[in-house]
Amino acid sequence: MTPIISVTDLRKEFKVFRHHRGALGAFRNLVTREYKVVKAVDGIAFAIEPGELVGYLGPNGAGKSTTIKMLTGILVPTSGEICVSGRVPWRERRAHVARIGAVFGQRNTLWWDLPVVESLDLLRHIYRVPAERYTRNLATFRQLLALDEFLHTPVRSLSLGQLMRANLAAALLHDPDVLFLDEPTIGLDIVAKERIRQFIQRINRERGMTVILTTHDLSDVEKLCERVMMIDRGHLLFDGKLADLLRRFGGERELVVDFADEVLDAAVEGAQIVERDGPRVTYRFARDAISASELISRLSARYRLVDLSVREPEIEATVRRIYEERLLDNDGG
Amino acid sequence: MLATYAALARLAFQRYLAYRTANLAGLATNAFFGALRAYILIALFGAQTHVAGYSVQGAVTYTGLTQMLLAYLPLYGWWELMLTIQTGEIAADLSRPVDFFLYWLAQDVGRAACQFVMRGLPILALYALFYSLALPPTPWHAAAFVVSLVLALLVSFAWRFLVSLSAFWTPDARGVGRTAWTVAIVLSGFMMPVAFFPPWAEALMRLTPFPSLINTEVEIYLGIVGGPALLGALAGQLFWFLALAALSRLVLAAGVKKLVIQGG
Repeated sequence: MTPIISVTDLRKEFKVFRHHRGALGAFRNLVTREYKVVKAVDGIAFAIEPGELVGYLGPNGAGKSTTIKMLTGILVPTSGEICVSGRVPWRERRAHVARIGAVFGQRNTLWWDLPVVESLDLLRHIYRVPAERYTRNLATFRQLLALDEFLHTPVRSLSLGQLMRANLAAALLHDPDVLFLDEPTIGLDIVAKERIRQFIQRINRERGMTVILTTHDLSDVEKLCERVMMIDRGHLLFDGKLADLLRRFGGERELVVDFADEVLDAAVEGAQIVERDGPRVTYRFARDAISASELISRLSARYRLVDLSVREPEIEATVRRIYEERLLDNDGG
Repeated sequence: MLATYAALARLAFQRYLAYRTANLAGLATNAFFGALRAYILIALFGAQTHVAGYSVQGAVTYTGLTQMLLAYLPLYGWWELMLTIQTGEIAADLSRPVDFFLYWLAQDVGRAACQFVMRGLPILALYALFYSLALPPTPWHAAAFVVSLVLALLVSFAWRFLVSLSAFWTPDARGVGRTAWTVAIVLSGFMMPVAFFPPWAEALMRLTPFPSLINTEVEIYLGIVGGPALLGALAGQLFWFLALAALSRLVLAAGVKKLVIQGG
């Protein structure tokens, strides 16, 4: 199969105006133009096959959105190549945008003061969706995204979760080849997140739509993606199976346990106590040293437990570990 | 293709229709200032029957027409496009498979149609109720007036579009906008017919696109221009629309280039 998206040695640099502070600095700002070059994307390459659902992961400011903007044709790369469905996005923007769908998490693309259904109808004209296909797609999305509860509500009165659902439907009315989702679950509560995730999964599986999903929420990726690309400071740090990422760099998880009484000897082999606060003890443990259920069963065999919770590692910690490991690799080689 | 732009215009019409209270409040304000302006002009005419080609009745009709066009054009300002550039929402609009200039023009036609019906025609009706309004001297003048109204909207749109694009380069585009709208109000002949200005000022004003916004329609309606000059007036409006639209497209291309290279 030929890839639907191929990216080679992609770079994007931004010039940032350097401000000097203070009265003297304000004067210098007037007379000099000093720029700092920021490399938002610094030489990345990947290929995506039709029908893949890829998670594009990284901390804030890593270069995720810059990549997506280049893929959607909103930004022109400083150098490198992008090909999406045989087109160069920024060179053939109108042809390109007619065949993709994009949803940017905290950005609304619908008309603020129109009811949702009117916005969708307008998009039908803009993308020239045949009436019969429009009716069929709208019926599907009404059911899958439960649009009926707010179909006639003006967009400005929607909740954040409803806004996301409406924008998802809007991005898919014209059956795009590729769907770009930039932080689609940001700021949503758990129920709303789950609904969005299930929808993404269904359109990927049932329609075979290629989906690229950026997020800094590991749980989005865990629920949805087999393949993960991780980016930080413009570099692609990892591209492969999610299971491999977690096994190698998943970082240490934490278990917070509330014992019924204060315990003196709470130590468990394979887990490290990082905090003690009366009857509450926090353990940190690596995936390969001990499993969460093993740790819990060992503790509950010895003491009475009132409550417990497992904390997944932050994505920042995962990135840090990848760096550490690379550093070790370099030392060894 | 045309269906897309027609749908855009239709929905813009609906959007503006939704603001009922704002429409009523705007109408009340327009009516109040309309009466004020009419009485000031009547007082200024005093014993004179004609000033710079305008009779008292013509002058009162002039205030009625300009008050009618105020919201239609809209002379007091337009911020929609500028705001989308400032907030970065423009990225979404640029990501639609339509021509960006026509995309906004279509929506502005819908807006203008709504405000003409909701704000313009009622003002004219009120004027007709309280004053004796002049009528176009011939059916030709009436027809040319209607054409001129449409052309004025196009010129107005191209000017507002161009001014809004300044937001690509300056964070204080609102200041640019306020200045630009004020210039248009004065030079279009909204405050005072262009013919009332000193000859040198009038000559300079007629070199700008602004009289095409207001003064041209008024002069056609009142029959101040006729014959070949009438066609010349319409051609002048068309010229300014095409010139401003061409300039807008150039500036837009530069702005988009900056956006796609430097980000929002």
